[in-house]
Amino acid sequence: MKLTKVGAVASIAVIALGACNGGGASKTVKFAIELPLQGSELAASQPIINGIKLAVKQAGNKVASYTIEIPQSAVKDDALNGVHDPQTGANNMTQLVGDDSVIAVIGPLNSSVAKAQIPISNAAGMPQCSPANTNPDLTKGAPAAQLRTKANNYVRIVTTDDVQGPAASQYIYDKLGKHSVYIIDSTDTFGKGVADAFEADFKQRGGTVVKHDGAPKTTQDYVSILTAAKALNPEAIYFGGVTADGGARILLAAAQVGLGDVPFVGPDGINDGSAATKDSFLNLAGDKAANAYSTLAGIGDYPGKAKFDADYKAEYGIDATGYAGQGFTCAQVMLDALARAAATNPADNTALRAAILTALADVSHTYKTIQGDFTLDANGDTSQKIVSIYSFDATAKDWKFLEQVDYAAK
Amino acid sequence: MIASSVTTPRTRSGLNRSARIIGFAVGAIVVYVVLLWLALQVVDGFAPERALPVAIQQTINALSIGAIYALIALGYTMVYGIIELINFAHGDVFMIGAFLAVVLTGGIFGQTGGVKDVPFLALLLLVALLFVMPLTGGLNVFIERVFYRPFRHASRLAPLITAVGVSFILQNLALLVAGSGDRAAPQIFPLDWQIPFGGAEISVLSIFIFALALVLMLLLQTFVNRTRLGRAMRATAQDQQAASLMGVDLNQTIALTFLLGGALAGAAGVVWGLRFGFVRQDLGFNAGLKAFTSAVLGGIGNISGAVLGGFIIGFIENFASSLGFSRWSEFLVFMVLTLVLIFRPTGILGQQLGDRA
Repeated sequence: MKLTKVGAVASIAVIALGACNGGGASKTVKFAIELPLQGSELAASQPIINGIKLAVKQAGNKVASYTIEIPQSAVKDDALNGVHDPQTGANNMTQLVGDDSVIAVIGPLNSSVAKAQIPISNAAGMPQCSPANTNPDLTKGAPAAQLRTKANNYVRIVTTDDVQGPAASQYIYDKLGKHSVYIIDSTDTFGKGVADAFEADFKQRGGTVVKHDGAPKTTQDYVSILTAAKALNPEAIYFGGVTADGGARILLAAAQVGLGDVPFVGPDGINDGSAATKDSFLNLAGDKAANAYSTLAGIGDYPGKAKFDADYKAEYGIDATGYAGQGFTCAQVMLDALARAAATNPADNTALRAAILTALADVSHTYKTIQGDFTLDANGDTSQKIVSIYSFDATAKDWKFLEQVDYAAK
Repeated sequence: MIASSVTTPRTRSGLNRSARIIGFAVGAIVVYVVLLWLALQVVDGFAPERALPVAIQQTINALSIGAIYALIALGYTMVYGIIELINFAHGDVFMIGAFLAVVLTGGIFGQTGGVKDVPFLALLLLVALLFVMPLTGGLNVFIERVFYRPFRHASRLAPLITAVGVSFILQNLALLVAGSGDRAAPQIFPLDWQIPFGGAEISVLSIFIFALALVLMLLLQTFVNRTRLGRAMRATAQDQQAASLMGVDLNQTIALTFLLGGALAGAAGVVWGLRFGFVRQDLGFNAGLKAFTSAVLGGIGNISGAVLGGFIIGFIENFASSLGFSRWSEFLVFMVLTLVLIFRPTGILGQQLGDRA
């Protein structure tokens, strides 16, 4: 009995103390993560999650008086039956904006999911940073305006497909010296978007597009489609899409119809880990990836890379792949914005979200990240317009960084 | 065909009928080649002598994917013919078959690529078929016994919705065991076996797939039309009660129908992996949908109809792919289905369900 009383008194004291501390006290807030966590896309998402968690950990889980948590319940999966699903992503976002303790969302991976999420996160004033979305319509022009009813809440730290597609085009045309290309896209927001941007640039360079096909992810018979492509004798193949909605299945069909020795180039959607990574592009492609290239709409060689790679390896025991660094950078951006927001002493979490949006909207603020220094413009796009080119390394059975192209100057 | 006539077709008229069918098939293929030949000249601007080999190559591709659809469609149509159930789990039985083939050739035999040694390749293919077909057939019998038989006298919706459930069970089992992404299937049939043909190449694998499907279909046709058990199947399809009064064992006959359908889906699964080099847990949904569409297009319950429907859908898809309209291929398939059903509600060759239709 006595003990119970003591315990009760003690807990009342603790509560009272907590209440007294008020404004200056440590408050626990959450960063949420929203990515597809199934199938081939888990291979792309896991490095991002690791990168985010590493950044928050290195910040000591604290910014000003705020303690930051990323509980498992705040890590949402937008995949349905193994492939990213916009509706699932929208449902996740509705849940996250309804949770008062979530003050920022990092994700999603796929542009089609972002398209479904932005109207929800925007209306709720939820700060959102995507480590991988590359579709231009998410931030630019009338299509972007249609997604928003309030001030912008969405930023991204990779460049866009209107840069990623042309970078691949420039590489194929100038570096590989191939002047006729066959294009096949997966018909979704991302796949068709990047393929269209590629096509426009390739034609502008004077290249020939022998055909631009679209094959939705439900396609059964890629062999017939590639047979038709082979008849047109392209010198290179460009695929717009991700591993889960075509990817290596198209490469296998290409090899089967005699297009195996033609360069096969794809966007970041197929740059999802080594052949040892379950469900990755290289995993299914095997040796047939010999002539495969991929781009990342992000920076491949950056000032903080050596340290990040070493830290990542020390933390997780594996090499950092794909968009791991971008995950880290997104978290850095949010931590930076949170620090500036906290300085305004927001009254509650709703005010804190609003203060973070104000911080993100500051176009003159320079973010000092592992990827170097950059600013975010009024649309939420980064000033870094760098695309990296990767090729298949047959010995490591992994993507190997070749070079990066800076489009900011062009 | 199941319920066409209980009397077995005999010699002379049978021969005439076979000749008519072969004539029709050859004619249809020639028409398709010519159509594609012309379309390729118009759409892609090919010279006539360049368009012909491509058209022939694509026709053989169409026959190969059409054969896969037809093999799966047979299972839908036979089951519908005999118990009027749309077995939604059938596509997933095909998917399980494709996985089993990978387990055998890749897992047990450790193959990863083309096997050039012809006797060994033949042995591998034979073992794969003899391993997968009984297992998928058995799985289909098991599904009927456990999930459908208890509902045989219930309202028709009960087994229908159960079938949807079984489909999810199978797909999720595959998801559990194999995960959700693409799994590499060993393409043991050498892909570089191509017959050069006027600037194009004809894949020997495509011919093999078509020939295998043809042999299996002929065996099925013979079985249904010429054997005692086949006659029991036709009788049951026509009138369950009367058949049972005449001494036909209904449970056995229905189980046999599921066994045959499952085995054919298993064979389709084996060739799927050879052809496309990957298997995935949701394979059964899309392939199943196409096969089911084939069965309806041809006239559900009608064996010849399922085969015809499978090839028609293979040809439509191929036509779209050949000309760069692959993003419209599903639209075209279902548009043709809709048009056919508007003018012939029972499918091209007509539904055949005996007097319960």
